Amino acid sequence: MAPSLTRREALGGAAAALVLASCGGGDPPPSTGPKPGSGAALLGSLLALERASFAAYGACLDVLRGDARAQVHAMRAQERGHAAGLERLISDLGGEPPPGRSAEEYERTFPRLATAADALRFTQHLEERQVRAYLEALTDLPDLELRNAAAGICADEANHLATARVLQGLPAAEGPFVTGAL
Amino acid sequence: MAERSDAELLEELLAREQRLVSAYEAALRRDTIDSSLGETLLEHEREHARALEQTLARAGRRNPRASVPSPELTAALRNRRSFARYAIELEDATIAMYVEASARMRDPDLRRPLGSIMACGAAHVVALKNSLGTFLVN
Repeated sequence: MAPSLTRREALGGAAAALVLASCGGGDPPPSTGPKPGSGAALLGSLLALERASFAAYGACLDVLRGDARAQVHAMRAQERGHAAGLERLISDLGGEPPPGRSAEEYERTFPRLATAADALRFTQHLEERQVRAYLEALTDLPDLELRNAAAGICADEANHLATARVLQGLPAAEGPFVTGAL
Repeated sequence: MAERSDAELLEELLAREQRLVSAYEAALRRDTIDSSLGETLLEHEREHARALEQTLARAGRRNPRASVPSPELTAALRNRRSFARYAIELEDATIAMYVEASARMRDPDLRRPLGSIMACGAAHVVALKNSLGTFLVN
């Protein structure tokens, strides 16, 4: 199936990119403790994405109803669990998890979500960003235990991405390789 | 899987993909999966198997032999609901293998593509759950 991108989808993707770039890039990295190359800085970036997604799904819940709301609510709970796990890993490396932002600060970066369709499209793009980030982390993280954790979370994010697609009436997977090929 | 080489891990994954191919082929033959869904999932699994075969060939390895159908598959082919539940279990177990293998690969260039196949498997589970009308988020 040839991928197609409508203007609305492109705008949703741009909004997600803006949110995640601003949330990921603006948070201070862990400042003391872990050795350079330990993976703590990369984990800090993933943590920023998780926190941004958690906040974004709070905004999505305001416009979602019924089954879609229940599914995104469940995703949001898992994002909180992922964030807690990443905080522990950073601490185990001797680092201090970055403090994150207030809900209000995150909200200022979100696009206006007027309808359930807006919220689901935003959810899809956030999850695409997260899956890509975790796949990149799999390549770059230096330690097996850290890569195991990243791969496990990536599987959860892939579940979320497919769920967001199905809730919009799209096929669960766009193709056999979600963001890459052998 | 602590001491296995990359090639051995890839062979295990290929054997698993071949099981999934066999399962979806059988379900399509027996009409125990919606044809559109079944053909999509089968096409993806064939692509995964082909990619693994090519990677193994580059490493000078032969493909593992296909296994005989399991009694569980035969039992699952009774109807669409039982097959969907069987396929979800098979896909979930395969995802777990990819989680471990993608983290363990010594060649870092193989980790991301294996992760992308894992992500596709997670999408298959969602599609199968949707066919059953069950909650989609794990």
